[in-house]
Amino acid sequence: MDLNYTPEDEAFRQRVRRWFAEHRPRGEHLEDRKAWQRTLYEAGFVGMGWPREYGGQDARPMEQAIVAEEMALAGVPGPFNGLALGLLGPTLIVHGTVAQKERYLARMLTAEEIWCQLYSEPDAGSDLASLKTSAVRDGGDWVVSGQKVWTSLAPYSDYGMLLARTNPNVPKHRGISYFILDMHSPGVEVRPLKQITGHSEFAEVFFNNDRIPGQNIIGEEGQGWELAQTTLGFERGGNTLARVTRHQANLRRLSEICRTLSRDGVPALEDPLVRQRLGRMAVEVEVLRYAGYRILSKLEKGQRPGSESSVDKLYYSELDKRHQELVQDILGPYGQLERGLPEGLELGGSGVRGQDSSWTFNFLWSRAGTIYAGSSEIQKNIIGERVLKLPREPRADRQPTTGA
Amino acid sequence: MDFDFTQEQVMLRNLAREFFSRESTPQVVRRLMQDPTGYDESSWQQMAEMGLLGIVADPDLGMIEQALVLDEMGRNAYCGPYFATAVLAASALAAAGDNTLLPQVGAGALKATVAVLEDAISWQPSAVQMRATASDNGFVLNGTKRFVPWAHVADKILVVARTDDGTTVFVLDCETPGLSVTPNLEMDHTNKTSSVTFEQVRAETVVGEINRGWEVIGPMLRRAAIGAAAEMLGAMRRCMEMSVEYAKVRNQFGQPIGMFQAIKHACAEMLLDVENAHGATYYAAWAQDAHTPDAALAASVAKAYVSDASRKVCGSAIQVHGGIGFTWEYDLHLYFKRAKHLEALYGDADFHREQALRLMLEQPVQQRQAVLV
Repeated sequence: MDLNYTPEDEAFRQRVRRWFAEHRPRGEHLEDRKAWQRTLYEAGFVGMGWPREYGGQDARPMEQAIVAEEMALAGVPGPFNGLALGLLGPTLIVHGTVAQKERYLARMLTAEEIWCQLYSEPDAGSDLASLKTSAVRDGGDWVVSGQKVWTSLAPYSDYGMLLARTNPNVPKHRGISYFILDMHSPGVEVRPLKQITGHSEFAEVFFNNDRIPGQNIIGEEGQGWELAQTTLGFERGGNTLARVTRHQANLRRLSEICRTLSRDGVPALEDPLVRQRLGRMAVEVEVLRYAGYRILSKLEKGQRPGSESSVDKLYYSELDKRHQELVQDILGPYGQLERGLPEGLELGGSGVRGQDSSWTFNFLWSRAGTIYAGSSEIQKNIIGERVLKLPREPRADRQPTTGA
Repeated sequence: MDFDFTQEQVMLRNLAREFFSRESTPQVVRRLMQDPTGYDESSWQQMAEMGLLGIVADPDLGMIEQALVLDEMGRNAYCGPYFATAVLAASALAAAGDNTLLPQVGAGALKATVAVLEDAISWQPSAVQMRATASDNGFVLNGTKRFVPWAHVADKILVVARTDDGTTVFVLDCETPGLSVTPNLEMDHTNKTSSVTFEQVRAETVVGEINRGWEVIGPMLRRAAIGAAAEMLGAMRRCMEMSVEYAKVRNQFGQPIGMFQAIKHACAEMLLDVENAHGATYYAAWAQDAHTPDAALAASVAKAYVSDASRKVCGSAIQVHGGIGFTWEYDLHLYFKRAKHLEALYGDADFHREQALRLMLEQPVQQRQAVLV
């Protein structure tokens, strides 16, 4: 066990820290966010884990973690094209054709083309493999019809990675294929969905007999589920430590406010109940930090985190809800003000998603984490069945079927 | 960045696991629960030979090794004065720079304990009220210490008392006239504690320096907090393993109960708590050995987190088992009670949450990030 950073890591961190002290994003608009990613890319902070031949840095997980942490510490947003960089690009690198790689990868890195992930459907959420959007062969093309939902970044996207059913007559996991879809093509309609935060980062996407050229299939026909599993399995290496940094900043700001905010005649920070709860949060955030080190330790050795990913996701997403609820409990009615918050009580800084972050946004946003990327319940099933080897539950869709 | 144990550490853990699963079987534990001394002398001597009693004094071994051994003890509800002697007394002696008693501890020739608590429940120096009054050639002690672990089998007792300008730690023979040991019966029958009363007891040997007793007790309590976390971790690990095993074989409604999400999810939450407790315990142990600036914070995080987590996991284990988990014959309560016993000692979760908050507020984030993260 050695959890020290090497002198090289420390030197790298100092370099990165200096860079972030000198560079800030211009603003919050789409073009600003794209420009910011381009700036990050030119500094070598985008696609760090990608192979060099595809425009990446072949950087060690540690270096990626350091950049993610420093970015969080500087309070600046990360690259806008997050899904492309973390999930879709790497899948294309592993499973795409030479032509596909040449056409798409570089523009993912520079944010010239933004990508979304066309997975969930109204009737296929946690049970993704039951998806119904169909792709039917027509000459050399595929004709797509159906609907996707909760598609993050869809309103800004140029391309999407689509999971569609190409064969309804085989067991559900085997009848799915994986496509690159042009979001600007005429058969695609994007209807932004307003989230409980008031923002519209995700959308419904409708396909009305949209045509996908034959060369835009990824892998083989019927291989879509398998490929999507690799996509879902790509590890978001250093993100855990970046989360810790954000929680720490949040907690510090809250503690500062507690020095002056009066509750029942005394500063909140002198109230033993408040102190206990702040202390609990401090403890839980530290524990997340150690979990981040454990994951990083595995990644540094070239091992893929297995169960740690599910345990980590379950812990950090539930932790965020507890944290934001604590903020609300301590700030009371102040915590709910979207406008009119007295000076000195603001969260300040910039949030995860680029907006000026606020207590209310963080509180509402924390509800998303235990739903997206596999809900807490799904994570517990994964831990129970794949890690602890508890028997799988009987499921109606696994019963032997007659006919079809 | 390497969170894995070294080869030597893995060997030590395997050695300890093999030893305690042989020497501390549930049958042995149940026999010792009823035995007035409560431990097995031949196991004790074997532990001395294996070097387990001398970890504190061994320059090649640290808190990680100590935690690995305690982890295995918790897993097997080991009965004996190990924590009192090899963790508490040894840490206190080491903090005082002792080199006469420590080798005897390591050799298995000396059992010792440390008396801190009095009537008040507090792990702060201010709670030490027992007086040590200076006399001709030493001090005279009067008062009562509570919850002194394994005092009934100890050869020596280290006791912290109030002196003119602070606290002072003394070491005494347990046979010293005026010193009387009254054993308690703990809910955890695998652990024995006593009330120790001092009536005009003459104390001549000071551990560390006069009036600077907390320089001995403070570092001891930090190691004790991490050590207790390690032992609770072992106990909760065992509870989780038993629950998962049981959920696979216990059938109700025509299927193993582990197939139901209500049980499966309870087990998944146990794993989350166990993994986090592992991270917290061994990070704290590493930080202690590496003298990092966040070592004190990490120790408090570990004790606070693992106290809560072990309560949850061991409790949930009883729930998963149902009626059988509530019986004396079934072994689950051995680990449940072991974890509970340690929850209350060396600072409970509330105490360490307060410590953690104080330490966090004292440390500027930028600096910590640069130095540690």
